[in-house]
Amino acid sequence: MTQQCPLGLSAPPANCLDLWREKNDQLVRQTKVAQDLGLSLRRKRLAQDALEGFRGLLHNLQGLPATVSVLHLELTIICNFITLRTSLAQGFIEDQAQEIQQVLERVLKTREQLQPGMKYRHKELWNSVFGVSILLPELLPALHHLAGLQAAHWLSTDRLGNLTVLLKTLIGSQSGASEDLLLLLKTWNPPAEESGAPLTLQDARGLRDVLLTAFAYRQGLQELMAGSLPRALSNLHEAALGLCPRPVLVQVYTILGTCLRKMGSPQRALLYLVAALKEGSAWGPPLLEASRVYRQLGNTAAELESLELLVEALSIPHSSRTHQLLIEVELLLPSPDPASPLHCGTQSQAKYLLASRCLQTGRAEDAAEHYLDLLALLLDSSESKFSPPPAPPGPCMPEVFLEAAAALIQADRAHDALTVCEELLGRTSSLLPRMPWLWTDVKKGTKESPHCPLWVSATHLLLGQAWVQMGAHKDAISEFSRCLEFLFRTTPKDNGQGPTSHCEREHTSEVTLQQLRAVALVCRGLEWAASGQNTRALQDFLLSVQVCPGNQDASIHLLQTLRRLNRRDEATVLWQKLEAQTELPQENAAWSPPLYLEICLSWIHPSDREALLEEFRTTLQEPCDL
Amino acid sequence: MAGLVPRVRYLANLCSPARGPATGWPHVRSLGSEIFVCTGGRLVYVYNREGALLTAAYEFPAQVWHLELLDRRGALLVLCAGRGLYCLWLDRVSRQASQDAGDSASELPLIPVEPAACILPDTALCTFTALEDVLVTLARSPARWKMQLFEAPTPGKDPGLEAPIGEVELSTCTPLAKEPGGPPFLPVLCCTSLPGSRVPHSFVLEEGLFGLLFGADAALLQSPMILCGLPDGQLCSVLLKALVTSRWAPTDPQALIKILHHLEEPTIFIGALRTEPGAKDMPDMPCDCLVALGHHGRMVAIKAGRDEAGSLVPELREYCLPGPVHCAACGGNGHLYHSTPSGLCMVGLAPEDTLWEAEQPSRGPPSLPPTLCPASLRVCSLAAFCVSPQIPEGDTELLALSTKGHLMICSLVLSPETPHHTQAVTASVGHKIKELLSGIGTMSERVSSLKKAVDQRNQALKCLNEAMNVSCALLSSKEGPRPISCTTSTAWSRLQQRDVFTATCVLENHSAFSLGRGWALCIQVGPSAGAWELDTGVTAVTYTVPVDQLEPGGRREVTLPLAPGEDNTLGLPLTVACALFYSLREVVGGALAPSDPFREPCVGACLPSVLPKQEGICLPLSEHTVDLLQGLRFPGLAMLPASLLSPAPDPVDNLLGEHVEGGTSLRPASLRARYLPPSLAAIRVSAELLRTALQDGHSGLSLCSATLQWLLAENTAVDLVKAQALSSIQGVAPDGTDVHLTILQVAVTDLCPAGPLQTVEIQVESSSLASMCGAHHAIVRRMQAMVVALATQGGSSPPDLRLQYLHQMQANHEALLREVQALRDRLCTEDEAGSRATAERLLQLYSQLRSPSLLLL
Repeated sequence: MTQQCPLGLSAPPANCLDLWREKNDQLVRQTKVAQDLGLSLRRKRLAQDALEGFRGLLHNLQGLPATVSVLHLELTIICNFITLRTSLAQGFIEDQAQEIQQVLERVLKTREQLQPGMKYRHKELWNSVFGVSILLPELLPALHHLAGLQAAHWLSTDRLGNLTVLLKTLIGSQSGASEDLLLLLKTWNPPAEESGAPLTLQDARGLRDVLLTAFAYRQGLQELMAGSLPRALSNLHEAALGLCPRPVLVQVYTILGTCLRKMGSPQRALLYLVAALKEGSAWGPPLLEASRVYRQLGNTAAELESLELLVEALSIPHSSRTHQLLIEVELLLPSPDPASPLHCGTQSQAKYLLASRCLQTGRAEDAAEHYLDLLALLLDSSESKFSPPPAPPGPCMPEVFLEAAAALIQADRAHDALTVCEELLGRTSSLLPRMPWLWTDVKKGTKESPHCPLWVSATHLLLGQAWVQMGAHKDAISEFSRCLEFLFRTTPKDNGQGPTSHCEREHTSEVTLQQLRAVALVCRGLEWAASGQNTRALQDFLLSVQVCPGNQDASIHLLQTLRRLNRRDEATVLWQKLEAQTELPQENAAWSPPLYLEICLSWIHPSDREALLEEFRTTLQEPCDL
Repeated sequence: MAGLVPRVRYLANLCSPARGPATGWPHVRSLGSEIFVCTGGRLVYVYNREGALLTAAYEFPAQVWHLELLDRRGALLVLCAGRGLYCLWLDRVSRQASQDAGDSASELPLIPVEPAACILPDTALCTFTALEDVLVTLARSPARWKMQLFEAPTPGKDPGLEAPIGEVELSTCTPLAKEPGGPPFLPVLCCTSLPGSRVPHSFVLEEGLFGLLFGADAALLQSPMILCGLPDGQLCSVLLKALVTSRWAPTDPQALIKILHHLEEPTIFIGALRTEPGAKDMPDMPCDCLVALGHHGRMVAIKAGRDEAGSLVPELREYCLPGPVHCAACGGNGHLYHSTPSGLCMVGLAPEDTLWEAEQPSRGPPSLPPTLCPASLRVCSLAAFCVSPQIPEGDTELLALSTKGHLMICSLVLSPETPHHTQAVTASVGHKIKELLSGIGTMSERVSSLKKAVDQRNQALKCLNEAMNVSCALLSSKEGPRPISCTTSTAWSRLQQRDVFTATCVLENHSAFSLGRGWALCIQVGPSAGAWELDTGVTAVTYTVPVDQLEPGGRREVTLPLAPGEDNTLGLPLTVACALFYSLREVVGGALAPSDPFREPCVGACLPSVLPKQEGICLPLSEHTVDLLQGLRFPGLAMLPASLLSPAPDPVDNLLGEHVEGGTSLRPASLRARYLPPSLAAIRVSAELLRTALQDGHSGLSLCSATLQWLLAENTAVDLVKAQALSSIQGVAPDGTDVHLTILQVAVTDLCPAGPLQTVEIQVESSSLASMCGAHHAIVRRMQAMVVALATQGGSSPPDLRLQYLHQMQANHEALLREVQALRDRLCTEDEAGSRATAERLLQLYSQLRSPSLLLL
């Protein structure tokens, strides 16, 4: 309809502009109707239609020569267009920079300030536009609105230098003014449109408030990550004070909690977290943060309780809020990366956290239950309920299985542990190296060893331990032997081929390998000792001390066996070595074993270690005193 | 290789499809007894195999880019370009149109698809794949690809899709440019899973290969993997179970996406094959080889092997198949079918298909063949096809859409011995012959296009050789007549009710070589390099006339108007420069352009880099100056036709003349003629000099008329002048002013001590200063040329002169020239009133300079 309006012939141009302006107002009203429709296709379609309408109007206007009356409407429509498009796409689209540039050049054309050959950079363009805009007072409100959208774009893409220059231009202050963006944003007072102006989706002042909150939030979060906590705190307070939709307020409170926890005021942190929980439905991040605070306070019961609540909160299906068809604060916030305090993972990831914390704090029964739940969740093959595995900083899938088996063994559920280990081996059987030398080529001697992932050996170790618990010594010993067979063929630097898991390489360190070998040898030695074959036990313990000299538990087991076999001299030498070792600072302080290995290490730890050492001290020193 | 015998059965004739951004992406899918066909436009046809007829044609609002069937839910999902995803529930819609069906597309009523069927309006969507319960879509944002996971639509619920349950961005190394007609290639998505997991619409990969490609986590989770082939050639995989995300747990692309390979050309197809024969009792063996195929025929195959120690290692091989590939599909027995413009081809990756097995040690499972031998199936080129699922063991049946728009079934039967005698074959003999003919047709088309290319190149080489000969001939002949010459003459002629001053250039080829394709005659008409160019706003104009085959001895004549000025005034003198130009682009360009009949775009871009920077060779031939004497017309000479004698009256002037009272409607020129004294100039030349110069050809004439003839030698009126033996003539300059030439014999007394010197005085008189100057300039130019010619001949010695007189004359002239220089300098700085006085004085000076009448001896 609009296109048919002949320009300047039968109808005066003013009428055409009126028509288009009427159309703009109607589209704005249509968008507002769409906004109230909730999440539905109809809403989306209405909004899309409105967007197309704005685009069409814009094309019409851009065909006219640039005059003040045309530009007033054009600026308003381009603001509406960008607002709606950004809101629909949930993010700024790069090519809108061109649109803004085009309209700014048109503004300059009215004043004949545009040198045709010259190519303006964006920043300079704004500067020259506001240089001439004093001569165009009618355009000022719309220009400020457009500048607000430009500011939002630059904020969301972290181009703060440009943003500062723009704001200074907007305020009209020169170089002497403060560089503080927050202050600049507060000082900026966009002029209001007069009453008869064409309708806009969002007014410039509202946009300014959104920018203020978003900037304070972003700045606070960045400073928190960078470690400058007091500045982060003040910025976040600023964000909380501003115009803040509820979901954003929950986030701000949660980050405030993180900040205060890191500053060493856990109680104040808890206050904010409670406030966050009261505010809204996004319980995940504050609950996770609460569990961290309780962990710092040493309150394990409360910590685990928060984690349980977190799992529950995340099991509620994600209900996406209907976005308003405006530039909202959320649009300008950074998407949370895994390092952000707001990253709380999915249900399965929270469940893993809960299970592993239970295992670490010695609640083996709970841990076992949670691990079994987790495995059920992860392996559920019904398609629509996918549950992602723990993400990279966490363990890889085989390690989750191993931890589950270790937890089950700890909880005296050896049968279940066996099942879990068999499942792990069964699911990966096709990936495991076929070892022809085990049954065919033993005689032929040296053959290149196949790559075998560490977790395969660990599975056999756990299997052996499960058999130990069930009293099946023979089976246990054969599993330990198989484990050792794999372990001595695994080289930690062998990281080339084969199906690997995403975090396996990091954990296949030399130390882990050594410790695993020591544990396996000690476990087998213990089994030999239990069945009365002390010489074989002695052999294993000796080997374990050799492969991992730092492991004192292995030395103590060796010491005990030596004493049992009445080899006093060797025992004395070993004991002296051990005494000397305890005085030295512990090696490998920086090394933290994978959780399953930690549990395995606890199995070879003699419960009465100090008593044993004391006993040795007396019995071994007696002959010397004589 | 066991010969596959194709049997083709035509089902229906649909409109002709084509692949590409302008025409769309054809698809064929089958569900039960129904075949869904999209020919690339907005229509999706449904063909019923049991009833053997087309049952419906759905019209979508935009070009269809992709379609998938959800067989358990009974839904047809269609992606429309720039619109989004549409869902049709087959049980609801198929009934409404089943009555009126036919076997031709034209008789079929169209069922328009409602906008309400759009379940995912997203203009950026490029492709999708459906896994019955979930949908995976791939959309392009300006810089990246975004993969999103949705729950599949269910019949009872709200028609729209919920918000995505997961998304991840794939990075791509090449920025995605926006093409106006849509992307030239679409990405490819498919799904693969482990044997036990029973994921519909996915191909099943053996555990070893699966774990090797996607890692132990994927194998442990038994998660389906989404495979994605991007138009830049990147092949990557996404762990589907980890694609579930939320606002607070965004996916980490690095953990989720694994890049498998880079084909370095647009990916057309990803699939999997079973290469090793399975046990007889297990019909559904998982595939053990992943293949991906690019547009230009590059193919990659990946298998899992074991090294000597027994560890899993990937075995990857790249092959080159004939391209460009339109579409491809994997069949049984390790066969990959792919369609190229020349027809359907098949390659076999199974060990029994290849001859290399003998040289391979028998240890270990057989691995991938080192080379592939594509075999043509003697089936015409296909735009799209799919492998029909329900077929007997060993055979393969393709549901195909040919590039000519035929929907057909190609049965590929494995048994090579029997085809001639079976009943079924005799029934389809007619079709087979047709297919054979079409195969022959496409082959001959290919041959002819190749032949054409070769011919083109030969032709180009021949042309280049000739051009070399011509250039050498022209450049080596510095002295004497040139082997190829161009002469220029001028004349007045009447064109379209107006008199036009034209130049005629005659190109004559006296060389032994012919001027063929690529040669052009370039004629540049511009102001001549003299003092004259000051006030003419004339710029040079170049006319290029192709020389179509000028044999030795041949001549070509080109006539062109000499009125290059915008206001149609002639700025004389003019220079007409002729040159031969040889265009390399025209001759070599065509031969260098690659010819792929199926994909025209992106060819033009590579051409300029191949050609040398210079576009051609330019050989100057001649230069001719056209001055006022050549442009004069002589209305007083009665024998000329009347129209040529005087310029035709301007219709506007006529009109004005009729309407102005009292007959005072005089043109400015005639006004000037009436009120201003005529300008006059004279040149004196010694009679002896002239006589020596004009001795040949002018004998028996008075010196005066011979001089006039000499001056007007290049004018068309020279014959009349000769006939009437005139010594004075009244002419009209091109701008309409009159020019009077008078030639007298004058004796100069005070110059020579020996007595009076016989001279010839040439007087030029015109009411227009410009015309007089033009004529004067032209005469002087001729005199100069004559003197130079005589000087080279070393003619007679000049008579004794009174030197003092000459000195006096020279001093006078020098003083005048100095004053002229000063006045001209002043003219630049002065205001209007002052400058007018200066200009008048300048004119006086100029006439003084002329009037003492130069004397040439």
